[in-house]
Amino acid sequence: MRDSWKEKCRLFWLHSIPLMTTLMMMFMFLIPIDAVKVNYFRPSVGAICVFYWTLKRGYLFSYISAFIVGFFIDSYSSTPLGVNILLMMLTACITQWLAHYFQNASFNAGWFIFSLVCCGIMMIKWLLLSLYFGHLLSFKEIIFNYLATVMFYPLIAAINVGVQKYLPQERINE
Amino acid sequence: MVRRSVLLIKTGELKVWLRRIFIAFLFFCSIIFLLLSKVENSAVKNLDKAALRVTGPIMQVVEYPARMVHRIYTYLYDISRIYIDNRELRAENKQMLLLQNKVRSLEVENQLLGRLLNYVPPADANFISAKIIAESSDNFTHILFVYIGDEDVKKGQIVLGDESVIGRVDKVSGQYAKVILVTDINSKIPVVVERTRARGILSGDNTVYPALIFTRSTADIQEGDVIVTSGVGGMFPAGLPIGFVNSIQNGEIRVETLADISRVEYVRIVDYGLSEKQAKVLNDFSESEQNAR
Repeated sequence: MRDSWKEKCRLFWLHSIPLMTTLMMMFMFLIPIDAVKVNYFRPSVGAICVFYWTLKRGYLFSYISAFIVGFFIDSYSSTPLGVNILLMMLTACITQWLAHYFQNASFNAGWFIFSLVCCGIMMIKWLLLSLYFGHLLSFKEIIFNYLATVMFYPLIAAINVGVQKYLPQERINE
Repeated sequence: MVRRSVLLIKTGELKVWLRRIFIAFLFFCSIIFLLLSKVENSAVKNLDKAALRVTGPIMQVVEYPARMVHRIYTYLYDISRIYIDNRELRAENKQMLLLQNKVRSLEVENQLLGRLLNYVPPADANFISAKIIAESSDNFTHILFVYIGDEDVKKGQIVLGDESVIGRVDKVSGQYAKVILVTDINSKIPVVVERTRARGILSGDNTVYPALIFTRSTADIQEGDVIVTSGVGGMFPAGLPIGFVNSIQNGEIRVETLADISRVEYVRIVDYGLSEKQAKVLNDFSESEQNAR
């Protein structure tokens, strides 16, 4: 009985590691940096992490995790509640489909796939916000955001690779 | 014996279908949130506030070590510039002394003219200093998170950085407040050009330089003109400096904020004593707008 309880705790802990890592990194990237126009080069850490974990450890990063990540992004940004939730869910959905074909893809291939997925997600975000505010938003912003996100992918992915080493390789039968 | 089906449906298939329904439900929730945000539903606002209560303390903890490293860097940088700064400050000080005398005489003149016009001065402003604990994370939002402690801060209060307006309080939750910067797309401030008194609206559009809109096409506006609040609408008192005209291209006027928002570490949240009557009018207006929706 005690063993099963311990096992349940261990499973819960393992399942929460990717989500916790994602949230911690998101908060780290919110730190105020005194550099001019630095906001233009802040990446969408949430999108990188959702993509990475869904691709590499899909069974540890569920749609609920993507939902929570989107919820927190919406809470600390001034975007309307729901926009980032929808985008993170979409990222998870697309990546899960891609994982069937590219789960064991090389790092560079993963980076390339992410750049394509991120492009689509950013376009949807721009469209959603333009619809919400009733006029087309500046396209320059989305390009900066997209480039910053793609450029930061190796750094965030490297941290995730470090965390991944402590996670089980295969799905655990619950 | 292991049971393999429920009502002729295999348990494996049932699990898959339940999972799909749950995912569809989550998508549905996100769309509902978005629609409720559009109509400014109070439940969504409360949910947002609750999230701020959770994220606030975490961000405060994360920010602390980073701030320490930054302080050390700033300290060393300041030391390297101490000689140049000292020379510049001495020169500036001479000019300031001359200006001080001018200001004194203008103040006396202003008081005399005020008496003549039966002018009622604005209520004494109270302010609190608040520490910035986080900035917005992408280009679509220009906001700050500040730690206000147990101070009484209300939505709509003005936020100053380096003596000029940088934004307004959007949400208060517990000991934290969310500040919408003048560059954010949600920010619209009635302003006036100080030199010519031409009126307009300073409208943020998530770029570094917010746009000055709704100005008369014949208005005399030049690059370098200082932009101050006009006081129209009652949310902001008149005469608070915001920025100066950075560029005028094809009729599009862009304004640069006086405060370097990216270098501000502490902000001042100012309560200009918005009268109860004004507050009531604003509340009534927002309620009627919600009812209309």
